[in-house]
Amino acid sequence: MAERSIIDQLDDAVAALAEGRQIDLTKLEPELSALAGVAQGLIGLPHDTFKAELQQQLIRRDSMSSPAEQLETNAVSSVSLYMCIAGASAALDFYRDAFGAKELSRLVEPDGKIGHAEIQIGNIVLMIADEYPDYGVLSPKTIGGSPVRLHLYVPDADAFAERAIKAGATLVRPIQDQFYGDRSGQVADPFGYTWIVATHKKDVPTEEMQKEFDKFTREHSPKKSSEAYSVNEDKMRRENRRAVTPYLTVHKPAELIDFVTEAFGGIEHFRATGSGAGMHAEVSIGDSVVMIGGAEHIEPKPTAIHLYVPDVDQVYERALKAGAKSLMPVVDQPYGERSGGVEDVHGNRWYIATPFVPLQTIAQDLHTVTVYFHPIGAQRFIDFVTNAFGGKELMRHAEGDMVMHAKVQIRDSVIELGEARYPEQPMPTAIYLYVDDVDGVYEQALKAGGVSMLPPTDQPFGDRNAWVQDPFDNVWYIAAPLTATKST
Amino acid sequence: MSQVTESDERLLIEAAQIDPSRFAELYEKNFHRVYAYIARRVRDRAETQDLTAHVFHQALANLGKFKWKGSPFAAWLYRIASNAIADQAKRKMRESSEQANPSAESSSAVDLEEVERRARLFSAVDTLPEDQRRVIVMRFADEKSIREIADELGRSEGAVKQLQFRGLENLRNRLQEK
Repeated sequence: MAERSIIDQLDDAVAALAEGRQIDLTKLEPELSALAGVAQGLIGLPHDTFKAELQQQLIRRDSMSSPAEQLETNAVSSVSLYMCIAGASAALDFYRDAFGAKELSRLVEPDGKIGHAEIQIGNIVLMIADEYPDYGVLSPKTIGGSPVRLHLYVPDADAFAERAIKAGATLVRPIQDQFYGDRSGQVADPFGYTWIVATHKKDVPTEEMQKEFDKFTREHSPKKSSEAYSVNEDKMRRENRRAVTPYLTVHKPAELIDFVTEAFGGIEHFRATGSGAGMHAEVSIGDSVVMIGGAEHIEPKPTAIHLYVPDVDQVYERALKAGAKSLMPVVDQPYGERSGGVEDVHGNRWYIATPFVPLQTIAQDLHTVTVYFHPIGAQRFIDFVTNAFGGKELMRHAEGDMVMHAKVQIRDSVIELGEARYPEQPMPTAIYLYVDDVDGVYEQALKAGGVSMLPPTDQPFGDRNAWVQDPFDNVWYIAAPLTATKST
Repeated sequence: MSQVTESDERLLIEAAQIDPSRFAELYEKNFHRVYAYIARRVRDRAETQDLTAHVFHQALANLGKFKWKGSPFAAWLYRIASNAIADQAKRKMRESSEQANPSAESSSAVDLEEVERRARLFSAVDTLPEDQRRVIVMRFADEKSIREIADELGRSEGAVKQLQFRGLENLRNRLQEK
């Protein structure tokens, strides 16, 4: 009979030990004997779950101050999180890589669905299962987000977040020192859950915390929330305006404002008729502002806009109802969003999208409104915005030499672009661009190949601006508020 | 299990006496010791778990009374464990008419070096590569057969045995490192 391999012999020994039989280690080969000795020591290895659950019991007890309180509260059992996740198996892998989670158990259906699994992160145990719509068990992806955030105290929030992001999490809020003594931030996982990652740095007395909190609420109060736009205040309008603001120029601007209001919940802040009988208006959509202008006698410049909304299906339907025609029905895209496209009667194209991750996760670089350029010669266009405006390429997806999709950062804004491929493109547009130094940027833009349409001029409405047409027929209104120009 | 110097341990205990939430660190450092100590004398898994839980609850409740006299914290825990095991044996004796088995191991003469070695071994399992760790845990904690593990993980029995072998090999190496 052929000699059994050491791997099999070792398993024989383990099997014997598992049945409670004694084996004489001295009778085995030295190598085998040593490993069987290790196996002997492992008989009765404690369950991970037992260790973790006991720790949780003890910690719960810890937080109680008196035995009486303990007794009262013991009547209420602990709360454990039970997370429903579409694609639970992938999530288990992700939590392992991103958070160093230890898998304690999993129950798998024949088709691979996870009926129940438990993982441990630090000293907390989380329960996870796949979606079971028949039982009303739905995941954040299906519901459209989770109202519950998971808060983790970790030894090093920065390192923890970095690892998570490397594994595919999205940074929602950068890790920073908070007034309440924590250093924390937020990351979103690809399954629709947001995690607050924190390290406690110092204890802050409640009184001091309240003071800091008052300061915080004063500083952060009216901005950002969409209701805030209903306050028609010039200052706020300026604060919410970013460097790159699309200028939608159409024959009938009043009708476009109606469309944007109806379809996208736009809020008009400002409307004026200029000396040339052209209209100028500013409308906010979500966290962004677009400018709308034009007149019958002015050549229209329709714009393509990537519009991020919380519910693409709903907004797409509203846009069609408001008179737009469909360019593309709403579908899940392989690049992590669900999107559809419409064209309004003025020729503007709206690429409406909802990312699979919660909407706030895009706030880092994308806002509700992002201008989408379709130039002929996308590479040269990127060169132009780099040289003229200090643009910085963030990403590109290319097929051969052709740039299919790219993102370029200009100051605090991001623009997107893709090589013109369809008959209605290149779609040159107009952009209102806020800078610090109008004259300097104007010179740079000309050097980069732009053509001057108006040299820097102090305007009666409070901006100094200059108009430059780029080699791709886009018009850039380079502007700065008059007071700021003088100060630099 | 990291080597804790006396003064480190003393600081940990004093911190936990002031702020009980710091007990987690003491628990982490001593769980496997206590478990291994009890497992050495009580062969039944459920009973080992009950007694381990009892020891840590007792330790937490009486932490304020612990006075540092130079002997390691683990020795205090062993004493609580030893008393708990003895109480349990007495209770059993009262409950059943038959004699509790007064085996040699039920005396307090437990080989502490052996306990320490097993505790290190238990802790070392957590440091294994995940696929090896999972096989070792299923085999020794869940007490599953190679075939059951193979079915559950969707791998061949050969592959599972291989992982078991590598896992034990790694554990042996880690014990030698210390």
